[in-house]
Amino acid sequence: MKRQLLKFLLCGAFFVPLTFMGCSDDDNKETPAPEPAEERWITVAGALMGTEPGDGNGGTVVYSVSTADAKNPDKSISVYDDGFAVKSNRTARLQSSEDGNTLFNIAYTGDNGGEFSRYKVNGGGSFTQEDVTVNISQYASTSPRWVKLFDGDKTGIAVNVANIAANNASTGTTPNDAFKYFRGTATVLALNLQDVLISGYKQYQIPLTAEEELLGHAIFRLDAPVLNKAQNKLIIGTWMQKRNPATGLTESSFTRLGSKAVIVDYPSLENPKVITSTVGFGDNSGYRSFNSFLATDGNIYQATQRDSKGSHILKINQSNEYDNSYVFSLDAALGVKDVYVDCWRYAGEGIAYALYTHDGTNQGYVARLDLNAKTATKVDLPYDADLDFGQYQGILVSGDEVFIAVTPVGKDGNIYVINRKTGAVTKGAKLVNKAGNHYIGIF
Amino acid sequence: MLVYYLLRQAPLWTVFKCKPMFLKHPLRNILFFVLLQTFAFAQAPAPRTAVVKGRVKDEKGMAVSYATVRLNNTNLATFTESDGTYELKNIPHGHHEIQVTSVEIKARSQKIHVHKPHHDLHFSVTREVRDLNEVQVVQKTEKKEIETQGFAANVIETKAVATRNVQTNELLNRTVGIRVRQNGGLGSAVNYNLNGMSGGSVRIFIEGIPISTYGASFSLNSIPPANIERIEVYKGVIPAHLADDALGGAINVILKKGLSNNLSASVSYGSFNTLQASVSGMYRNASNGFTVKASGFHNYSDNDYEVWGKFVRNILPNGRYDYVRARRFNDAYRSTGGQLEAGFTDVKWADQFLIGYNGSGDYNEIQHGTYMSIPYMGRFSESGAHVLSLNYKKKDLLVKGLELTFSGMSSRRKEVVTDTVRWNYNWFGEQSLGLSGLPILRPAGAQQGAPTINHIRRNVSTARAGINYDFHPNHRLVLNHILYRIDRDEQDFMRSATEREFIGTRDLTKHITSAAYELKAFESKFKGNVFAKYYQQKIERLDPKLVTINGEQTRIEERASSSKNTLGHGAALSYAVIQNLFILASAEKAVRLPSEGEVFGSPGENIVENFGIRPEVSNNLNVGLRGGPFTVGRHKFSFSAAGFIRDTRDKIVRRVNPRLNDAVQTDPFENLGKTKSIGFEAEANYIFANNLNLGLNFSKFNSVFNMRYDPNGREYDYYNKQLPNEPFFTINANAQYGVKNLFVKDALLNIYYGFGFVERFYTTWLDIEDFRTPRQYIQDIGVSYVLPNKKWVISADLKNAFDKQAYDNFAVQKPGRAFYLKLNYTINHY
Repeated sequence: MKRQLLKFLLCGAFFVPLTFMGCSDDDNKETPAPEPAEERWITVAGALMGTEPGDGNGGTVVYSVSTADAKNPDKSISVYDDGFAVKSNRTARLQSSEDGNTLFNIAYTGDNGGEFSRYKVNGGGSFTQEDVTVNISQYASTSPRWVKLFDGDKTGIAVNVANIAANNASTGTTPNDAFKYFRGTATVLALNLQDVLISGYKQYQIPLTAEEELLGHAIFRLDAPVLNKAQNKLIIGTWMQKRNPATGLTESSFTRLGSKAVIVDYPSLENPKVITSTVGFGDNSGYRSFNSFLATDGNIYQATQRDSKGSHILKINQSNEYDNSYVFSLDAALGVKDVYVDCWRYAGEGIAYALYTHDGTNQGYVARLDLNAKTATKVDLPYDADLDFGQYQGILVSGDEVFIAVTPVGKDGNIYVINRKTGAVTKGAKLVNKAGNHYIGIF
Repeated sequence: MLVYYLLRQAPLWTVFKCKPMFLKHPLRNILFFVLLQTFAFAQAPAPRTAVVKGRVKDEKGMAVSYATVRLNNTNLATFTESDGTYELKNIPHGHHEIQVTSVEIKARSQKIHVHKPHHDLHFSVTREVRDLNEVQVVQKTEKKEIETQGFAANVIETKAVATRNVQTNELLNRTVGIRVRQNGGLGSAVNYNLNGMSGGSVRIFIEGIPISTYGASFSLNSIPPANIERIEVYKGVIPAHLADDALGGAINVILKKGLSNNLSASVSYGSFNTLQASVSGMYRNASNGFTVKASGFHNYSDNDYEVWGKFVRNILPNGRYDYVRARRFNDAYRSTGGQLEAGFTDVKWADQFLIGYNGSGDYNEIQHGTYMSIPYMGRFSESGAHVLSLNYKKKDLLVKGLELTFSGMSSRRKEVVTDTVRWNYNWFGEQSLGLSGLPILRPAGAQQGAPTINHIRRNVSTARAGINYDFHPNHRLVLNHILYRIDRDEQDFMRSATEREFIGTRDLTKHITSAAYELKAFESKFKGNVFAKYYQQKIERLDPKLVTINGEQTRIEERASSSKNTLGHGAALSYAVIQNLFILASAEKAVRLPSEGEVFGSPGENIVENFGIRPEVSNNLNVGLRGGPFTVGRHKFSFSAAGFIRDTRDKIVRRVNPRLNDAVQTDPFENLGKTKSIGFEAEANYIFANNLNLGLNFSKFNSVFNMRYDPNGREYDYYNKQLPNEPFFTINANAQYGVKNLFVKDALLNIYYGFGFVERFYTTWLDIEDFRTPRQYIQDIGVSYVLPNKKWVISADLKNAFDKQAYDNFAVQKPGRAFYLKLNYTINHY
């Protein structure tokens, strides 16, 4: 209690004006101090534990500070004490507007699972939920996968694959046919983030090649779509699965096919087509956040997960095909084995930052990637043994600065701010943690 | 089972106060008492004594059993055997008067001059008809006997409510310390919370046999109160004879016991097209003991009650909400069942020998999943069970005081879950349309998950044998063994024939051996019971696999098995401070053995096996006080109060590794969790002039997260914080007022009022209003009218009288205002 009181007093200078701001909401005047020094709120998100340390299933809390405060190592942020609980039964799937003033959330599971809502960022623990919501659960389930396109906060895309069944399933239309494939029904849905409406959706089966399907390969999940430079195609990451056609059972270890992505027309969402890499052999679905980025050079770069040869960065050219001449193995570049990219973000001018593990451990690291030179270097940070980026959702790029929350489960950490041009690392605000919790992103 | 309880000695004063119709047990008490006194008497110097023997018969020459035979103005007494004979020893020489008493007969005395070692003295007595008031006294005594053994026990008698429109689950829900959480209307899934412990921690028995022998179709959802004699609820500490790995408590349903030839039937109809009918009867041939017992029930409801509020919305094509008021449309429930037993009772070679058949079936439409925000269409389950049983019971087998009970059951259960409708539906029962105007496919293929027509078959064998040995009036040994074996296989007909060949099977075998020692001391003021239970469980897994042998794909069967043994123990103590005021204490180290899924994981959900997993353990403690009934003039009151602790360790939870995440999850279940529940409950009852009855109970507990430090030594924020989704504070009140001779002489009108309160609680760790349940106040009103001949009872009930939104589970609305009418017909002694 005492500590909280002290903290409250210390933060007083920050909170009091906020309170006033809350009172003078209707006249829409310029917000008084603390105005974000560099025009942007930095929102930090933390995941509460559910039953087990680090499971993140207890819900998500957010807290916003000015950019100056985020970069100030003397500043302490505790989302768990001072933050705002986002309405989601389990870890919220958050995204933010490019200016940082709006937070987008899709509630994950629960009575409101699949419900998209917008929160106005007021600073501190003050967020105002806008009264219009839209629910995409009928299309994309109550635990949907979605990301925002980099199109000026206009569109979000949610994707889903359901009901994977054999062509000769006993209740299907051709139960007596020979086995040909396992396929699911894919849904691709566009969400108008501004009007808060579903603007379109398509559902279809996406075939692989006949040989691949005969072996039992199928697209198990779609995730992390990205818009190409021409803004006429979406490139959607896949998570592949193989079932044994003779038993119908899912195989846990199998010879992986080359990484596959699904290309659909945009904005019609029609004409799904599968492209296959000969360089990467993993999935490219990412996890809870972006996994493919349109780079300055007009090409799309995507990371692989569960890659039999360690994570790769793959390149998709402007003809929407894999550029198999581009080989960027993170194992090779980092000089370790079995690199696994948990989350990464393109920072501009061929530079990206990746959160990764290697050798099958959960130990998290941060690497600076040069996509043009195909080099990767581990960023010099304090790597605690409990640092695990497995649920990490949000690396923020603001101007030349890349913000990453580095907190081991149950231990305090810091925001680290990295200059994408120089690679210089600055220690930012302290992130006060609680037992079993961890910070999952900066938005 | 019944006899088990009857054998237990009630406090002495109940012996003198009660006028039991049910002779056996109070008289048994007298016997103990007498033997005790006789023993004391025998210590004194005894000069010349004699033995008086004889037989007691009624006017028809039938033996009168269990009648007290007493030497007037002394403690020398005994009771008659089943053939009416008695033997009084140590009678001093001289002139005496010997009296025979029993509630069944008019008391009778005879004078005798004892002057030789042996005398014969026979009695001829007149039978007397019992009246109904006395029956109630006995019932109370029996309830009291169980409730004052030391266990934190409640006995729910169904007699009083059997004629009303009340379901078994409602009855339980009104009982102190029990919270029944039902996912909708009649027939929907139920979870029982006993003092803060729920789910698999609470085991349900029918006549001491685990309810899984019978399956969903013969459950507390379907058995009407009229077919139930009583329900015993043991919280935290469970006596040795109810052996199962129940971590938090047990609910034992005792089916109706015929006392005499009788037949009763009832039918109830009301809101939501709800029809409930029951019939039960018993016939016993007095001369040869041949007995037939039969009972049956039928339940049906459309459950099409109205729902509304923030969880009831149709999703428009563009994703926006349209909040509606709608009737549930895929929620019908039907269950039918019956039981027939035939054999012999109260014959020389058996107190009970019955062979029986129990058959039941149900059909249950499922309107929604965990939350009602997404309505389902066409998902339903059907289940059925055929159970053959053999029951044998004999007192004084081979040796006096040795009782043997045996129950054997063989059950074939079948369950089919069907979910094949591929489209989304809205709350009006219409297909939900997308932006293109076409219906939208469900995201997982069918209403709840992937399409399924899953047939699950279970063969269950249960055998239970128990021995009670009263080797001394104050000492008893109890030995009990239960064997439970379940073979399960499933076939999902939505899968292809080849796929179905590769679905594994699971066989589970459980042996539970328990032993108890019961003691009475200080003139039976003190009762003690210590017990130990040894649990053995074996699970066998058989998974077909395809392997390549010499280049050829061959189907092999991969077997694995897991064995777990563990020991639990406990004690229950009771002490009567003054007459009718008991201090009760009980404690148990309770265990729950890991389930099949927890040991073997689940390939479907990619959870790997963990053969090293240990049972969950809970140290449970109850301390309480129970008083009454105390009578002051026309006022009668009773009360009880208890505190409890449930300290649960090694809770089985699934460790989460997000990197492997949802699809390739390969983490096992592990013993990691710790929770603690501390609470208090109290109950009071007041009766005025036998026609006004007021009852009040409340229960409050703190069920908290009990892991204190994380691996880094940092204290968890949740430490000592209330676990989410626990209804931790409830109040129930009821009132009953009887008016005699209304309209007609000898008619009885009863008016009932019931009130239930549930405090609001959070459903997630986030303390935000959106995830908090509303505070609830639900009121019911009822009336019943007993016709003068006592054969017909008509009752009417108005439930949720003020049409409040009622919730047991978050975002699942229960029925609003509902009206039911019921007719009951009973004939006794035909």
